[in-house]
Amino acid sequence: MVISQQNRLSFYDEIRKNKISSFFLIGIVLLVLLALVYIIALIVGTAYFFAILILGTIISILYVVVGYYKSADLALASVNAKPANEIQYRQYHNLVEGLTLASGLPKPKLYVMNDPQINAFASGRDPHHSVICVTTGALEKLNNQELEGVLAHELSHVANYDIRFMTLTAVLVGMISIIAQIFLRSLWLGSTRDRDNKGSVIFLVIGIILAILAPIIVSLVQLAISRRREYGADSSAVKFMRSPTGLISALKKIKYNSEMKVSGAVAPLFIAKPNRTAELFSTHPPLEKRIEKLERM
Amino acid sequence: MVLWLWITISAVLLFAIIIFGYYNKFVRLINQISNSLAQIDVQLKKRADLVPNLLESVKGYMRHERGVITEVTNARKALVSAGNIQAKVKAGNELQGALSRLFAIAENYPNLKANENFLQFQNELTAIEDKVAYARQYYNDGVLSYNISTTTLPGRWFASLFGFRGREYLQIEESERAVPKVKF
Repeated sequence: MVISQQNRLSFYDEIRKNKISSFFLIGIVLLVLLALVYIIALIVGTAYFFAILILGTIISILYVVVGYYKSADLALASVNAKPANEIQYRQYHNLVEGLTLASGLPKPKLYVMNDPQINAFASGRDPHHSVICVTTGALEKLNNQELEGVLAHELSHVANYDIRFMTLTAVLVGMISIIAQIFLRSLWLGSTRDRDNKGSVIFLVIGIILAILAPIIVSLVQLAISRRREYGADSSAVKFMRSPTGLISALKKIKYNSEMKVSGAVAPLFIAKPNRTAELFSTHPPLEKRIEKLERM
Repeated sequence: MVLWLWITISAVLLFAIIIFGYYNKFVRLINQISNSLAQIDVQLKKRADLVPNLLESVKGYMRHERGVITEVTNARKALVSAGNIQAKVKAGNELQGALSRLFAIAENYPNLKANENFLQFQNELTAIEDKVAYARQYYNDGVLSYNISTTTLPGRWFASLFGFRGREYLQIEESERAVPKVKF
């Protein structure tokens, strides 16, 4: 019991780290966007320089603000999740309610996404604005104890503010990669017009490098971080339930049932990686290692 | 002279900050404890509210099991009329015991077991049992944190200064802990 007490105290560390990381993430994303706006303004030329700069700055700030307040909605919309009806999904609600009592957290909004595979994710900006979403496959294929293990894992992400950082990364970075792509494409179209202008060629090169590098760098950072988080959420899930059995058995089932077609941007949010990816770029530690760690608890 | 003044002022400030910190910590933990007690209370009330409906759905099938039905009814009455939280928790445990016996007997009635209404009540009451256990776990976690911070130094000094006393854990009843006897 004393050990679990120490675990609880270390939550505050996790929360602080996540808040700081989120703050820096927003800052970096904002800087990258502003740099892009500046480059675009320079390429387009002096006539609209300030107009583009001002408009671009406003759009960038709006983007970050909307990303912060609406990240959960965007993540839910991207996987086409529906609110879980309290009567139809009574057991799902009951299990989450029990876990919120064990952890002292407010009850997240519950969602269901239609997919036969077993997977789940949590999102939101803080515990009071959090959501948990599970696949219909998870509700059908997992027994109560296993489902509770999965939900406890998701609730741990909520408790230590992983959701804020992870969802922000997914939404802000995911969108950056889209914007960078658009930028790159428009550059190819516009480049033939003023080929003789030396200055614009330099900015063109910088623009391309930035557009290629920005999403790669940020997503690599995100990948490195989210692996450690999964172990953390596994162990706090055990702390809520005081037993690893449910989660272990759920992870064993998930091993063969987690592949889904979801956007690469939201993939790191899930309890088990939905896409087949190389180990280096994987957002999740191998399930075998997670099961092994849980069995040692 | 000025230096000494500054040292004294910062020492007093530092001391005040530490005292405030500890005071707020105690208050926060006490709030957590009373909040989780309130949660236990809510769940016990839900349990008591569900029982009449459950008995209604059972009535038609278990006409010959008067004993266990009276037991459940009486346990519910005891829970509803219990005054303080300790008594409520105790009565809640007794009601849970009576309900488990009722569900065990229901196993003998295939028609009842297939009854949609009955299944719903059974699931709901099982969920409540889990919730009570979780709320109690959270209560005891809170008491543990609180007791540690009021008995270790320097928290101990501040606790006695402000009159914060240790809290009691919610114990599991001996009868609950015992393995139920199975008769054939």
